[in-house]
Amino acid sequence: MFRTTDMVLIAVMVCAAGFTYMTKHDAEAELSKLRKLEAAIRFEEETIDVLKADWSLLTQPARLQKLAEAYRDELHLVPVEAHQIGRLDELPARPLRIEDIVAEEAMAGGMPDGVTTGSIGQ
Amino acid sequence: MIGRWRKKRLDTAGDDGGRIVIDGLAKSSGGRGRIVMTMAVFLCLYGAIAGRLVFLGMQELEEGGPGPSRVTASRPDIIDRNGEVLATDINTASLYAEPRRIVDADEALEKLLTILPDLNVEQTYNRLKSDAGFIWLRRQLSPRQQQAIMQLGIPGVGFRTEKRRFYPGGATAAHIVGLVNVDNKGIAGMEKYIDDQGLADLQATGLAIPKDLEPVRLSIDLRVQHILRDELEQAMERYRAIGAGAVVLSARTGEVLAMASLPDYDPNNPFNAHEKDRLNRMSAGVYEMGSTFKGFTLAMALDAGTASLNSRFDASRPIQIARHTIRDFHGKGRVLTVPEVFIYSSNIGTARMAETVSVEQHRAFFRSIGLLDRMHTELPEVARPTEPSQWKRIHQITISFGHGVATTPLQTAMSAAAMLNGGLLIQPTFLPRTEGQAEASATRVIKEKTSAMMRYLFRLNVEKGSGRRAEVPGYFVGGKTGTAEKVVNGRYSNDKRFNAFLAGFPVNDPEYVVLVVLDEPKPEKPGMSATSGLNTAPVVGNIIRRSAALLGVKPDFGHESGALLVSSQ
Repeated sequence: MFRTTDMVLIAVMVCAAGFTYMTKHDAEAELSKLRKLEAAIRFEEETIDVLKADWSLLTQPARLQKLAEAYRDELHLVPVEAHQIGRLDELPARPLRIEDIVAEEAMAGGMPDGVTTGSIGQ
Repeated sequence: MIGRWRKKRLDTAGDDGGRIVIDGLAKSSGGRGRIVMTMAVFLCLYGAIAGRLVFLGMQELEEGGPGPSRVTASRPDIIDRNGEVLATDINTASLYAEPRRIVDADEALEKLLTILPDLNVEQTYNRLKSDAGFIWLRRQLSPRQQQAIMQLGIPGVGFRTEKRRFYPGGATAAHIVGLVNVDNKGIAGMEKYIDDQGLADLQATGLAIPKDLEPVRLSIDLRVQHILRDELEQAMERYRAIGAGAVVLSARTGEVLAMASLPDYDPNNPFNAHEKDRLNRMSAGVYEMGSTFKGFTLAMALDAGTASLNSRFDASRPIQIARHTIRDFHGKGRVLTVPEVFIYSSNIGTARMAETVSVEQHRAFFRSIGLLDRMHTELPEVARPTEPSQWKRIHQITISFGHGVATTPLQTAMSAAAMLNGGLLIQPTFLPRTEGQAEASATRVIKEKTSAMMRYLFRLNVEKGSGRRAEVPGYFVGGKTGTAEKVVNGRYSNDKRFNAFLAGFPVNDPEYVVLVVLDEPKPEKPGMSATSGLNTAPVVGNIIRRSAALLGVKPDFGHESGALLVSSQ
């Protein structure tokens, strides 16, 4: 009754249907994963926003000042005065000491020269 | 009619055998029609089902959870010049319940009470028991509460996210940042400015997507802003003033680094924002600024060349004019030089200096330095100064020392910046601006040489005059006091004062102008007086001491005031 070609065609059709179904099913599964990820990303973004707001709330100068005042005895924090601020070029030149000069020469590899002076020669 | 006639004809025609044939034909054709009809109906049905299947297959599934409630309400963040957040949108969750789906109202309520102990038990129970489809239980929960309620897993309750404007600094920069209404529309301050710049249109077309909105950067420095407000708060308490205000203005760019006006309000809960005394008195309040105006009068005479630093003016006798007598508060009763007029704050001397120029010239000069017109800045709350409609000699004399013209304090700071920065008038701004941009929009109002003289005078006043208490070693402060008597019932009152201190630092090349005003300060201790040198000057000193390093001003102990005098001559 059925010819071979019919059998083959039916098999191909069933396979094609099965393949299509599988593909669609997989695609849907991937999509739902994607949606979950998107929701997770949205949630994280919102959390970041909230944390940023939290951070700026915690670092408010007004709050920090209150804390610094409350823990003054332990932290010993006081405002910086003008005379405590300086620049590098405002530092006075360091006075030279003889040990420093000798040490510097030694570092530079300066060995005692070969000239014999009177005090040693005798 | 015709039908009946045809029927008759058919009846007569098919009387014999032909009748059966016709009958059969009719029957057979009718039967086939029925089959076709049935097939068509079923085809339609299956076609519809198949079509619907294809349609459903093509359609994207709806995303889970409730969507964003109102896209139109998104606003950009507002940040300060260092990127600190001044205003941001946060999503808050609001708790709702669907009583029809609640299985056990007792249990649900019991569980909810562990997280929200302040729920009204009886009322909430009745509402949960009811047959309603949807009820709000609590708006704007904290994230922690939301998490806890979610973990309870009560069926029939859920959350909707709502956007809410949040100001982490609270009242710190309230008057600058402004306010939004329930629909997240800006109604005051920079929030309103942002709306007017096109955000409102974006929101109306639904294009204001949170991710695309760039934060708006202001010229404010939050740290300096806090210092300013903190000092004002202390000053208001110490001197029992009814109001206080201050501004730190960049002398070279016109940027406002900090500005506060007390009493203010918390923008997160602005129930009292519309009370009359909580207005932004720095830009929306006009006051007679008093002696701080003397600086402008002196600059005018020096710039016009009708006086020099060595000119002398007779301040030995009060001026009598139109039934008024102009006296000096700290009268010296002798002839004063120009620097002496300034540091002793002599009304008589200033009036005599003002008289060296004509009334029209005086008015034109004050107009050119921006004291008589409404200033142009981003804040919507800007008041228009008041002046006499026609200036007479008496007006010129009183205005020369700051009575008769009422201006906003911010405007006065702007004009003072022009006196000290080399003579350029720059409109104040709350957005970042470079020196180049500022110079492009600036107008020259006095000569550079005059500005150098003003620097010398301002410095001299802090070294030897009424501004001694504003001195901060290392920062070279120069300033002018102003103690104005307030008008009460049309008369100048003796005990109600409006005090101001106008300062620039470092005054050899001013980078910043600081103006502090106190409204009706009382003496700190009984027996002391409540003049500007005693209350506003130390406040300015404190603000400079605490904020100069943050503003990037390098302390310098090497300056001599003599150098200022030389450079001004």
